[in-house]
Amino acid sequence: MKKTFSIGGIHPNDSKISSDCKINVLPVPSTVCISMAQHLGAPANPVVAAGDKVKAGQVIGEPAGFISAFVHSSVSGTVKSVGPRKDLAGNNVNHIEIAVEGDEWADGIDMTETIVREIPDNETIISRIKANGVVGLGGATFPTHVKLCPPPGKKADFLILNGAECEPYLTSDYRIMLEKPEQIVIGAAIMRQVLGNPRTIIGIEDNKPEAVKTMSSVVAKLKVLSPSFHGIEIMPLKKKYPQGGEKQLIDAVTGRQVKSMGLPIDVGAVVQNVATSLAVYDAVQKNRPLVTNTLTVTGDCLPGDRQRNFLFRIGTPLSFIVDQIGGIPEEAVKVVSGGPMMGKAISNLDATTVKGSSSLLFLTAAQTVRKAESNCIRCGKCTEACPMGLEPFLLNKLARNGMMEELEENAVQDCIECGCCLYSCPANIPLLDIIRIAKGDVIKIIRGRQAAAKK
Amino acid sequence: MTTTIIWTIAIITLLGALLAVVLYLVAKKFKVEEDPRIDEVEKVLPGANCGGCGHAGCRAFAQSCVEAPNLDNNFCPVGGNDTMKKVASVLGVEVKEKAPMVAVVRCNGTCENRPRTNEYGGYSSCRVKAALYSGDTGCSFGCLGCGDCVSVCQFGAIAMNPETGLPEVDQEKCTACGACVKACPKAIIELRNKGARNKRVFVSCVNRDKGAVARKACKAACIGCGKCAKACPFGAITVENNLAYIDFTKCKLCKKCVAECPTGAIHAVNFPVLKPKPAPVAKPAEVPVKAEAAPAQKEQAAVNPQPTEKKEE
Repeated sequence: MKKTFSIGGIHPNDSKISSDCKINVLPVPSTVCISMAQHLGAPANPVVAAGDKVKAGQVIGEPAGFISAFVHSSVSGTVKSVGPRKDLAGNNVNHIEIAVEGDEWADGIDMTETIVREIPDNETIISRIKANGVVGLGGATFPTHVKLCPPPGKKADFLILNGAECEPYLTSDYRIMLEKPEQIVIGAAIMRQVLGNPRTIIGIEDNKPEAVKTMSSVVAKLKVLSPSFHGIEIMPLKKKYPQGGEKQLIDAVTGRQVKSMGLPIDVGAVVQNVATSLAVYDAVQKNRPLVTNTLTVTGDCLPGDRQRNFLFRIGTPLSFIVDQIGGIPEEAVKVVSGGPMMGKAISNLDATTVKGSSSLLFLTAAQTVRKAESNCIRCGKCTEACPMGLEPFLLNKLARNGMMEELEENAVQDCIECGCCLYSCPANIPLLDIIRIAKGDVIKIIRGRQAAAKK
Repeated sequence: MTTTIIWTIAIITLLGALLAVVLYLVAKKFKVEEDPRIDEVEKVLPGANCGGCGHAGCRAFAQSCVEAPNLDNNFCPVGGNDTMKKVASVLGVEVKEKAPMVAVVRCNGTCENRPRTNEYGGYSSCRVKAALYSGDTGCSFGCLGCGDCVSVCQFGAIAMNPETGLPEVDQEKCTACGACVKACPKAIIELRNKGARNKRVFVSCVNRDKGAVARKACKAACIGCGKCAKACPFGAITVENNLAYIDFTKCKLCKKCVAECPTGAIHAVNFPVLKPKPAPVAKPAEVPVKAEAAPAQKEQAAVNPQPTEKKEE
């Protein structure tokens, strides 16, 4: 019996249409606009000015705080401007615009394809991960070096690699597991060494048997080569959304449950995405900054021959990617960045790709138009679906009446915004929309209280 | 049979009498001393329990009035000065008159001025929409048009205009309780002085983008050019972050800024409608201003016919 998480979850059609599309290298556009807010935490401070010449891989933004990350240029050329531009949600964010000239990489970056298996010492690893701006590519873009240094007194018993890719449509993680499995496993071994050699499990959902097979054979091969790869195992998981959620994956793999408002390290687990593992490999073994990532271009309305998995440079305009696949398909009414469950609709195609971009998903009117909301019939489907064990119907009622204390008692702050409640509601109540706002309000109250208690 | 009934009645009567005595004693012993003036003050309050004063309801406000040494920090926006005078007479204290306020929607983003760049298909709530993205136009500061302000107004004083897609305040019904100000996630609505004869001048825009960006998103945006600040003889206008703001405590309603504004972002409402001059002074900036200001004047005039009468006098 394959494992999965114990509470809630849903089974949307996985629609992995683009799973057979090999990763194509996306051409470099004539100009790129690199955002300074590509990670969780404080946006980076630009360190170049208009007119400066930059090389690919050169630092153009420095971290502004403990939870922040370096930003590097993804191209070589001249800085055209530094200033606010609209991101894909239309909000103003500092961007650096660079006109591309040639493709020259900064010194000390190994761009060869040779696989390096020797793992350096821990200090080198952390400094390279930090200097190369690696952030979590599973969605939250949390700076990886922070996650790999657990607070004193806490020890990791498990390093879990997230290869679940539970969001429908997305296939970028699947493709890298097929095409760059060795790099991912070496990346895992690097992170395992930093964390003090915990048990390392790569969790992959069973709708990707090819990935399980490839990854298993690579792990077996590497184990023979060096002892640093012992203790890494592949675990096929029973398909269920949201398996890729950090807390759900920990539950599925270890059976441990993170407490309300707790962190994975509280139960001795560190979770990293397989794409992050690849970025760690590139950063540590090749000294390559995180300036490229894989992105799926897909959708039911996109013909099979136009589906793609692209290796893109950060800062590439989304409109450029759309042009590469021959424009927006006629039936599409909505373009989403990310998966259909948790992704964000794009209101501005002039926005550019960031480190965490995972897809461009085209949706039709039938897939996106909301049906009219009707009354809650207390069927409990949302409660059954909630992977955090919350009662969305109750939270919805409390939120609409502004009952903050009761919302906190009912743990609205634990909502992971996976959308299972909204997906399962037969009355089409916008549960997540309302709960998300209430969650923000309650977290603000909790933070305020904590700040007051500190004083 | 009869004795049973008699006994029952007797026991219950006795029990009732006994408990009445107990209740009487308990009520005496644990009596909560409350200032009788709280009840009196509460009686003169409007009783809307809207929370506009910052208290949980009218009774909490009454309590606060009674407990405070003076009425300087307490004001009932719904009842206004009349109510406060009554409260003052109950309490026997002085009260300073406050200028009446009114909610003002500071956005010019009508469908015509501000073209839609995308279509919002989510849940119709400004807060939800604002949490998701910057909105369905190029302006990330302007009105989102889902009407959160309309649904929180207890006095029916604010309504969406389907033609412009913007909320409009009925100045007669508005009590300046501030519920809409709190509800607006974009902080567009502001409480401003109602002004002499309801005349008001204000910058109807909150866009802090640079001029060119703001203008591209909305034809009637404040571009932060600063012409109004230069024109103002009273120093009432400040330009900060590419946005002009008129301090209503300093504004003397001279309307010089309205004529200067190149985009028509500054609105003057409830001023007498002037007959078009036969040969207007050829100031290029003035033309769009008049075109912009005219509909606002018309709409306000319909609500409040006073200004036109004034002109005839």
